[in-house]
Amino acid sequence: MKLQFTIAFILFSAGGKLSAGSIDFVRDIRPIFEGNCYDCHGADKQKSGLRLDMRSGAFDAGEFHQPTIIPGKADESNLIRFVRGDDEEMRMPPKGERLTKDEIATLTAWIEQGAIWPEEVDLVKPVDRTDHWSFKPLKPFDGDQNIDFFVREKLTSNGLVMSPPADRLTWLRRVSFDLTGLPPTPEQIAAFLVDTDPGAHARVVDRLLSSPRYGERWAQHWLDVVRYADTHGFEVNTPRANAWPYRDYVIEAFNNDTPFDKFIREQLAGDQFGKDAATGFLVTAARLLPGQIGKDAASLRLARQDELGEIVINTSEAFLGLSVGCARCHNHKFDAISAKDYYSMQAFFAGVSYGERPIQSSKSETELEQAEKLKSRIREIDRAFENLVPRVSPGVERPPVNALLNIDRFTPVKARKVRFTIKKTNLYEPCIDELEVFDSQGNNIALASLGVERSASTTKVSANQHQIEFINDGRFGNERSWMCGQTTGWIMLKFPHEHTIERIVWARDRNGKYADRLAVEYVIEVANDSDDWVVVADSTDRRSGDPKIQRDLSTLDPKQQTKTKSLLEEKKQVEIRLAELTNSQKIFGGIFGKPEPMHLLNRGDAEQPMEAVVPAVLSALGDVTLAKDAPDPERRLALANWITTPKNPLTARVAINRIWQGHFGIGLVETANDFGRAGTAPSHPKLLDWLASEFIRSGWSVKHLHRLIVRSETYRQSEQINSIAQAKDADVRLLWRYPSRRLEAESIRDTMLAVSGRLDLKTGGPGFDLFTSRGGLSGFPPITKFKDDGLRRMIYAHKIRMEPDSVFGAFDCPDAGQSVSRRRQSTTPIQALNLFNSQLTIDESEAFAQRVRDKVGQEVRAQITYTYELAYGRTPEPDELTDAKSVVRQNGLPTLCRAIFNSSEFLFIP
Amino acid sequence: MIDHQAEHLSLGGRGFLNRRAFLGNNATALSSIALTSLLGQEGLLAGDRPVIDPSQPYAPRVPHFAPKAKKVLVIFCAGAVSQLETWDYKPELIKQDGKPLEGGPAVTFQGPAGNLARPQYEFRPRGQTGKMVSDMIPHLAELTDDIAFIHSLTSKSNTHGPAENFLSTGFVQDGFPSMGGWASYALGSENQNLPAFVSIPDPRGVPQASVNNWGPGFLPAEFQGTPFSASKPVRHLKSPLGVSPENDRAARSLLQRMNARHLKQHPGDGQLAARIASYELAARMQLSVPEISDLSTEPAHIMKSYGADDDANPTKAGFAKNCILARRLLENGVRFVQLFNGAYASGGKLNWDGHSDLKGQYDVHSEILDQPAAALIKDLKARGLLEDTLVVWCTEFGRMPMFQKGAQGRDHNPDGFTCWMTGAGVKPGVSHGLTDELGRKAVEDIHPLYDFNATILHLLGLDHERLTFYHNGIERRLTNVEGNVIKEVLA
Repeated sequence: MKLQFTIAFILFSAGGKLSAGSIDFVRDIRPIFEGNCYDCHGADKQKSGLRLDMRSGAFDAGEFHQPTIIPGKADESNLIRFVRGDDEEMRMPPKGERLTKDEIATLTAWIEQGAIWPEEVDLVKPVDRTDHWSFKPLKPFDGDQNIDFFVREKLTSNGLVMSPPADRLTWLRRVSFDLTGLPPTPEQIAAFLVDTDPGAHARVVDRLLSSPRYGERWAQHWLDVVRYADTHGFEVNTPRANAWPYRDYVIEAFNNDTPFDKFIREQLAGDQFGKDAATGFLVTAARLLPGQIGKDAASLRLARQDELGEIVINTSEAFLGLSVGCARCHNHKFDAISAKDYYSMQAFFAGVSYGERPIQSSKSETELEQAEKLKSRIREIDRAFENLVPRVSPGVERPPVNALLNIDRFTPVKARKVRFTIKKTNLYEPCIDELEVFDSQGNNIALASLGVERSASTTKVSANQHQIEFINDGRFGNERSWMCGQTTGWIMLKFPHEHTIERIVWARDRNGKYADRLAVEYVIEVANDSDDWVVVADSTDRRSGDPKIQRDLSTLDPKQQTKTKSLLEEKKQVEIRLAELTNSQKIFGGIFGKPEPMHLLNRGDAEQPMEAVVPAVLSALGDVTLAKDAPDPERRLALANWITTPKNPLTARVAINRIWQGHFGIGLVETANDFGRAGTAPSHPKLLDWLASEFIRSGWSVKHLHRLIVRSETYRQSEQINSIAQAKDADVRLLWRYPSRRLEAESIRDTMLAVSGRLDLKTGGPGFDLFTSRGGLSGFPPITKFKDDGLRRMIYAHKIRMEPDSVFGAFDCPDAGQSVSRRRQSTTPIQALNLFNSQLTIDESEAFAQRVRDKVGQEVRAQITYTYELAYGRTPEPDELTDAKSVVRQNGLPTLCRAIFNSSEFLFIP
Repeated sequence: MIDHQAEHLSLGGRGFLNRRAFLGNNATALSSIALTSLLGQEGLLAGDRPVIDPSQPYAPRVPHFAPKAKKVLVIFCAGAVSQLETWDYKPELIKQDGKPLEGGPAVTFQGPAGNLARPQYEFRPRGQTGKMVSDMIPHLAELTDDIAFIHSLTSKSNTHGPAENFLSTGFVQDGFPSMGGWASYALGSENQNLPAFVSIPDPRGVPQASVNNWGPGFLPAEFQGTPFSASKPVRHLKSPLGVSPENDRAARSLLQRMNARHLKQHPGDGQLAARIASYELAARMQLSVPEISDLSTEPAHIMKSYGADDDANPTKAGFAKNCILARRLLENGVRFVQLFNGAYASGGKLNWDGHSDLKGQYDVHSEILDQPAAALIKDLKARGLLEDTLVVWCTEFGRMPMFQKGAQGRDHNPDGFTCWMTGAGVKPGVSHGLTDELGRKAVEDIHPLYDFNATILHLLGLDHERLTFYHNGIERRLTNVEGNVIKEVLA
């Protein structure tokens, strides 16, 4: 790592004492730097972003955003402050001997005299970081080039040749796994093997690309990159119940061959194109929910920065192949990306937050109007019903307290504060899901959004479930409730100003799941500013009864009862109609609002904002800049348009490289998320550029690329190893054979189910369960027996972030923590244990055997033959038949099936 | 960090740059193929990264420099143990009990702050050093003379999940490799029949950051921790009920023949050879893991000394059995053992998150932790295992000197807390770093957890700046771009 600068260090005699007035950089200053600073601020390391071995580095601001050397101002120069040790913590050098007084004096005098440092004396030259292959425009091509031309050219120059073509069966299995993640059926194999027409290969490719199975396979590659999951991550890891519309969007986009530039624009600004679910891209990262973030302001600011940071990381890695996220705390170590670039890019997303919202749909205006009318009718009914509830008055008995809903009506009274005191519950500490306070007009004036403050005697906090904020958040149910810290206590609401109120509505759990923790003895009091509390209602006039019975109408007279019943019936009907009208799927996606001001943050610290920044693209690559007050959609659209302009040198290259990697297991650029200077150079630069140009020319058609690739001779080569070529190119980067590789986790499971005959091809919608929990704190016990939806393709599993599937997770299945640009192909004993001993393997072995017996009967030879055909697409060789026969006779057909599921031939793309 | 020439190499080639230090691994036919080809391709350069032979991923590898410790035991107390009730004695806090903290935060992690609250346990001097340690942990307190305490640690997060990530992976985000993963990636294992890295979850459940604490992140999957405990065996170690041993054997031997035949038809394919080897290692694990987990061979006096026979407290007995399992794993050469005490978020009921009723809950938790963990360390010492085993006691952050308003517990405090080490390479009887007189913040020799982790790697003979793995544009490290070895605790 030290060889790039072959520096001929010139040795100085350390004799030259400072003679006042004439300080020479080379003679007096550089030796001090060399002796004390270069270990950390030289060619190898640039701690805090500072290097002192070249002029441009020394006068640069580094991470402190303040030049280290300010000519003429020694006292203000960090260099002097640090070597002097003004701040003991920042003293330089931090270890070892300190600079002598003489040395400090020399440095001080040199800076005072103007810090003269002639550029030409530097022994190392600054590297132009923008001078990098992937930042340069695509070269135009002419003539009849194709993939094979470029691959052969490279092979020839390395003294290698292509391998002979694979046999037809191998090619068919390869292309089927590759494009759909599933093996060909015996019928598809038979049809292809007899189809000697020259168009046979092309027809297979067309069939595979038009199958919905194609999108289910290729979407997974993209979901790896964007770290998609169906839970929020971190310790609470709650379900992200409506993440899946984004997963389905990606599958559809591949199936529809959505032009890739459009695919990018939709993910950044799908709300502007009627593709709302695509904005799930912005928020795929793990996220701390509000209850997990500290209540102090600094914690909130940090959480917001983290949220935005993940959007920048996702956008820059997925589309541009650049790790812009590295520049959050300091200028990028290798690439031409400054901290300012990072915050300018972040500013494009300043109006984006994470959240759940209905997918914008194309509901007509009349439909929306109708919905509004229905909603107000529901409010009227509620009010009418609630007005039938007897008022608190002497001698009137009121219905028993119940868990679902309680209404306390009283003579209108002026109030600034309402206090609800619980004296006894039916069990444990009291819990109230929402406290509503209505004025005479029927408005709930208790909502936090109206500026109502709350306090409580004690609160038992359970993040995301019981918090004091939930008492008046307008949301119902146990998971949005307040719980008292002790078995008795009070909660109080304070309004911004006085109201006349007449009704208080409260419940333990309006969603009807819980009936414990119910306040069975309580007092409601109101007060004005003077703190003179007046009781308006309490439980003493309530009858006792079962808290689970919702509507006790027995106190009403018969006429009222009839009226109530008809109102409730009407309400039910109205609610059904409303649900139909407003029926819209929710999406966990970007929530778009007014952009907040963005600042450069010193060393990434949210508590140290520096200059304001406006949205601007990476300065090394473009000059698109927006005004500081540019509204949100304009920002995201501007970024999307810049990323997808054909002139952007990175976008098409990065995209086609991912496609290539999907086919060959490794990209032309091995580091698919990193086209920067720390990434690897392309193995076939010309091919990469040709494919990128061809991709753009085709209208960014991914299926066009697939056709070019899988119909090439390069792709059709045998996978067999040739020891001479192997010795030259063991990693097969030059493609002298087809690089066979293990199937991915999802394909192994899907293929086992396909072969056993149990695969359910239902598409889309919420994911099926791999665990008995869909998210939460207490761990994820795996499901072992699968049926119904559990037999769907694995991309439709409800993906728990960080928790690997108990069988297939071990096969390098991404955990959705950090972006996975390319799956590793590890081989571990845990994989072997899982695949050999899991219940799923045993069950599918049984099902597989049953399928075979159903088809061919009891004859062992026929059973083995059909088993081989289904699993490997071929008939067994005589020695295999003999071996298998004795096993099937002694240990049963499922034993053969179990061995097959574990066999290399089954697990590898040939 | 990579050099600019390496930019043009494949990642495999870059891996080769680092072969020199790690050539302790006995190259098989398989790896020598790759070696030769890379030699031809890239030339020979020096470097720091381990080279993994895919058919022997756990082969022992040589560290950067001579190690003080060969193995690590991490006792991980989930939920954030209060430093003020354990190791960080604050007489001033006793004096100021019930008074507000002048200039302190009005709002802490969970809400409004209350008044200062004295340590909830008595402290007394221990051993030769006379260091004050609390009565909450009388057995562990007996070890004080052997321990190096670091009282001035800081975390980057005040939320459990990210903070446990930070402690175990060096990053607050999900998805980075765990320390045990780094250690087994670097060093392999001394035992080829057991996993190199074992995580033993608490009997009450998984810790708050769960698999993040032992996950591989972006390291190859070989290097993740294998979770199992005395009560929960390795998953899929045995075939499910209903499959006869005869059928098991028949399937395994048929599979062996099938894979051998397939390899013969694909000569030279290292992936296929590695797959066969993985089934062989799995078969060895199927024998050795049940054997090592079978505590029935432990003598009664050992069970008693750990508290594993405590029928009245099954959680304590369960944790004690996990402690015995940890010792057996270390005895058998497992590289990295992570032993959890405390489970997931539960209002402090199942772990050390004492927000509301700290004393009441800590009475329960300390009973579970104290005797078994102390017995484990004494047992390791008695058997001479501390000669080459580093023992680390840690927790994700500390707690505030104030009680929370209206509660009898302390809120999260990432600004100054205590973890400790003992055993191989550790200077005994040291107390390094200081928090202020009330224990609110670290004020002297402040060490972010990066330094703690760098020190652990250092004791294993690994330079935390040189142990790297390329991912998404960066040579990643356990310590990000930070970290200084805490020399003061080294023997």
